[in-house]
Amino acid sequence: MTLTDRTFDPGAPAVRDDPEETRRLEETWRSPSGPVGWFMPVNQRIIGRRFIVTAFVFFLLAGALGLLIRLQLAVPENSLLGPELYNQIVTTHGTTMMFLFAIPVVEGFAIFMAPMMIGSRDMAFPRLNAFGYYVYLIGGVAFFGSLFVGLAPAAGWFNYVPLANKEFSPGLGVGIWTTMITFIEVSALTAAVELIVTILKLRAPGMSLNRMPLFVWSVLVMAFMILFAMPTIIVASLLLILDRLVDTKFFIVEAGGEPLLWQHLFWFFGHPEVYIILVPALGVISSVITTFTGRPIFGYTALVVSLVATGFISFGLWVHHMFATGLPQLGLSFFMAASAMIAIPNGVQVFCWLASLWGAKIRLATPMLWVLGFFVIFVIGGLTGVMVASIPFDLQVHGTFFLVAHFHYVLIGGAVFPLIGGLYYWYPKMTGRLMSERLGKWSFWLAFLGFNLTFFPMHQLGMEGMPRRIYTYIDGLGWEGMNLLATAGSVVLALGFLLTAFNFWVSMRRGRPAGDDPWGAPTLEWRTSSPPAPYNHRHVAVVHGRYPLWQEREAGRREVVIGLRSDRREMVVTSILDAEPQSVQVLPGPTIWPFVSAVAASTGFIGILVSPIFFVIGFFLAFFSFVGWLWPRRPWRED
Amino acid sequence: MTATPSPFGPSGRRRTAQAAARLAAAGALLAGCASDGSQSALNPKSPDAALIAQLWWWFLGVSAVVLAVVVLVLAVGLLRGRGAQGARPLPESRRWALVVSGGIVAPAVAILGIVVSGLWIGRETGARPTPPDVTVEVAGKLWWWEVRYRDAQGGLIATTANEIHLPVGRMVRLLLLSDNVIHSFWVPNLDGKTDMIPGQVNELWFAPGEAGTYRGQCAELCGVQHALMGFLVVATEPAEFEAWLAHQARPAAEPEGALARRGREVFQQSCARCHTVRGTAARGGQGPDLTHLAGRRTLAAATIPNTRGHLGGWIADPQSIKPGNLMPGFALDPPDLHALLAYLEQLE
Amino acid sequence: MDTRSTVDVAGFSRFAANRHPLWWGVLWLIMIELTVVSAFIVSYFYLMRSAEAWPPAGIEPPPLLWPSVNLALLLASMVTMWWASWGLNRDNRAVLIAGLSLSLLFHCTVLALRWREMQLFGFKWSDHAYGSIVWTITGFHFTHIASAIVGTAVVLVLAIRGYFNPERQLAVVVDTLYWYFVSAAWVPFYLTLYWAPRLL
Repeated sequence: MTLTDRTFDPGAPAVRDDPEETRRLEETWRSPSGPVGWFMPVNQRIIGRRFIVTAFVFFLLAGALGLLIRLQLAVPENSLLGPELYNQIVTTHGTTMMFLFAIPVVEGFAIFMAPMMIGSRDMAFPRLNAFGYYVYLIGGVAFFGSLFVGLAPAAGWFNYVPLANKEFSPGLGVGIWTTMITFIEVSALTAAVELIVTILKLRAPGMSLNRMPLFVWSVLVMAFMILFAMPTIIVASLLLILDRLVDTKFFIVEAGGEPLLWQHLFWFFGHPEVYIILVPALGVISSVITTFTGRPIFGYTALVVSLVATGFISFGLWVHHMFATGLPQLGLSFFMAASAMIAIPNGVQVFCWLASLWGAKIRLATPMLWVLGFFVIFVIGGLTGVMVASIPFDLQVHGTFFLVAHFHYVLIGGAVFPLIGGLYYWYPKMTGRLMSERLGKWSFWLAFLGFNLTFFPMHQLGMEGMPRRIYTYIDGLGWEGMNLLATAGSVVLALGFLLTAFNFWVSMRRGRPAGDDPWGAPTLEWRTSSPPAPYNHRHVAVVHGRYPLWQEREAGRREVVIGLRSDRREMVVTSILDAEPQSVQVLPGPTIWPFVSAVAASTGFIGILVSPIFFVIGFFLAFFSFVGWLWPRRPWRED
Repeated sequence: MTATPSPFGPSGRRRTAQAAARLAAAGALLAGCASDGSQSALNPKSPDAALIAQLWWWFLGVSAVVLAVVVLVLAVGLLRGRGAQGARPLPESRRWALVVSGGIVAPAVAILGIVVSGLWIGRETGARPTPPDVTVEVAGKLWWWEVRYRDAQGGLIATTANEIHLPVGRMVRLLLLSDNVIHSFWVPNLDGKTDMIPGQVNELWFAPGEAGTYRGQCAELCGVQHALMGFLVVATEPAEFEAWLAHQARPAAEPEGALARRGREVFQQSCARCHTVRGTAARGGQGPDLTHLAGRRTLAAATIPNTRGHLGGWIADPQSIKPGNLMPGFALDPPDLHALLAYLEQLE
Repeated sequence: MDTRSTVDVAGFSRFAANRHPLWWGVLWLIMIELTVVSAFIVSYFYLMRSAEAWPPAGIEPPPLLWPSVNLALLLASMVTMWWASWGLNRDNRAVLIAGLSLSLLFHCTVLALRWREMQLFGFKWSDHAYGSIVWTITGFHFTHIASAIVGTAVVLVLAIRGYFNPERQLAVVVDTLYWYFVSAAWVPFYLTLYWAPRLL
């Protein structure tokens, strides 16, 4: 009899917590402290929290840049920012939001939550996880820092060639963009591999794929999308780096190069990128709705199929960013249909949630409020998204503020709002406390109001002919009122987000202690204490359904795994489909090597901006640090 | 020509003072189009642009209904659970009906509508009846537009810059080129945008439907002065257009008066390396062709009006008007500048 | 709450090389690399399609002989690598060491041949887009062979020091998987670089 078709076993032996063993477990999974110790932990929750906090810091920084943009555009012919600085700020704002905030923050949530939700004690490759974080941190700081020394790229976050070629962007900026983005993508790819293997192989026994929480499903889909999307941006960046550093001719028209090759490679990554950010946020929504309606979500299978379909379809749309480039009409029509098609999986999800919310007894706590805000904003963004799939219409609004409005509706409304809801929801697992509900509600209403004030007028600005990425505009075109309104709104929006940042900060000490499961949630992360012990789960759960905690509460009993040793880090490995226990994986403990390797690799990446020889130096430094990382420790353990 | 909209409002510091009033008015602006409409897709002035604008109003109407339905379903659903009797979920079959109708059938119908309308309008706006009545080559420069009129055999008729005159009601073929970075050619009142990509020639076909002056602007980030890379399209009756083109094809007139002749010498010394004035020794190719400069309405790629004061300011300090543009400032002696302006003003 | 145990993993294997998460990790790493390989090949054909002449006028497609020898060597190295892990499964250290050494020898020969071939390319990467993509793909594969060599050299050192046995062979399994990929990746590159300009 397999675990998936069995309910609670009445004859199973009872388990008692041995305090001595709990202490030993604590000792085994503990992370070192102190200044050197900061560079050593490998536990998934510590790495995940670092990802989340670092990403939100970048969010605030890039948000401040957004405010500067709005201040510059508040009135026509404004001279607050010069054109060069403005282009640098626009480029840094977009790049930071996409690469240093959006992807890392969803990865952070995934790394922090997904292992706990599947009942695991850590992830499959803890050291790789740590490596990914340091790579992100070093790359992110190096990239953002370039703005402060006036070396930031100014060719837009999409870096179209030939503008990004050496001839038209002679400074270091684009070089910094290409190398640092490639470097940061390495971090995204390590996280993706890590998440896929963890989710497929380290689920609690009994958690077959069709019992997996929807958030974990969304993380799995996201990770696969990263796996197939990121490599093309790495290749594109590599070609551009080579063009700029060693004079290859990939994008030099006179020597047979092709500017449109860049656009194809970039958008083959760039379009899925949007869904990479969106999909985990959709998972958060499913989690929050399930918990706050207090009953199973409607259409689990439909939701999973929609997530997977979204992932697939998103790879077939990239050309809709290139409708104006003069490609043959017939090919474009295919992409028009494919682009509109994505409305179906998204529609199914929205209506599954609506069906779940209909008539439910809902607790309107802050996380739920952010999710409700999502509905309004995301539907508007989705509708304009379907509009721009129409080629003739897109030719009018492409490259205008209409598009700016559209993707902010999708990305802020579709991703940031639910993620902030998720932050309020899971905060107890980070700190053991709850965030203030009062501040949270104020924050939501300010952000909701400010968001719509900022971005709704931009639809009309685009229709009235205002292009994007312009540092100023002449007086008399009728854009003045809308721009001023948008700027006023952006201040309100910023206040709303700052309130949540403030709330995050003060609640760490002053928040109400949460207890293990403050929301009455059904998934395994709420079976840990708040904040969880270093090993997450004292006993690895045996799962009998999609909502294990509700089932356990109803039955008054629970089932667990025994036989994991407490004197070293061990985890249960289970089969991919049915989560039948197969073997045990032994995990490494804290180590400095991932940090050393990240420094070695960044030497190579940052160095090639100076000289190509650093490619060779970086290669060997990284090689030696990897050997140090993976070399078996003596005495070769008797395991 | 009916009312010529002037994109150039009052310049000066009053703008800040007007800001508060504008903010108050902005709420009202949300309801409708309040600009003068000289650069707006909502004020279509060609059959192509009219079709697209119509499409937009349909999109807007349908979207408003969809949004209202979603919000209504959400609100009613939430309110139903608020009674004292506890949760009142929909029965399973009704839930499926909701998901299938709202999540699959409605989007599928919308997709069908979008694809069919997109294909149909795409075919209409993309129509290319050969031969065209007028062929104009427009090349994106850093950061201005070179405009070359071609005859049916491809021979060059005239070159000008930043101002494209077109005959009303005639089919126009624009050949869009670039020899530097990617630009995007966009006159929202007349048609959607098309990129100008080095190494390829894109075409844009449309027929202006009504006489008037429309403003266009580069719609693809092209460097420091992407923002102020504008141009005007002047649509006139065909006869007027023919006369204008014939005039443009002629070389510059001989300067009249000693001052203007002195100005031509100044031009030869200071400007001729980058600018062409046909009929003279000035054959520079870097900057716009100035043969008929005085006939244009704007300077610096539709950034400032073409008046004596602005022209003098532009020559003396172009970097303060368009920071980062490729024209250096010329610190001419006042008499020289005076003479140069006299010469340029005669280049009708 | 009443807690019962229903799964006891005390007796479960702690090695399980073929089911080990690391094996899966390397599999997905290879998927990433495969996507990179495809992106390079797509770029090659994209540039080829938009070029008037490919290779540019006056340049011959690169000669076939040595790359074909390389192909044979790389395929052979996959067999010797398989032989090495076959030996390890039977706890035959001599076969393991011999297999690893032979594979390394093959790859080093390939590296030397490639190096020589690069010296004889009639064009530089900075000459034209054709030169750029040929050199980049060549360099990409060259770097991969080099990293497979150094990685396997480390495994060989461990093998000589007697670290591996049929129970403890994860490093060999993972290294072999990566080796197969690096060697097999030559097939699409070989067809693209050497046959496409002749046949298409």
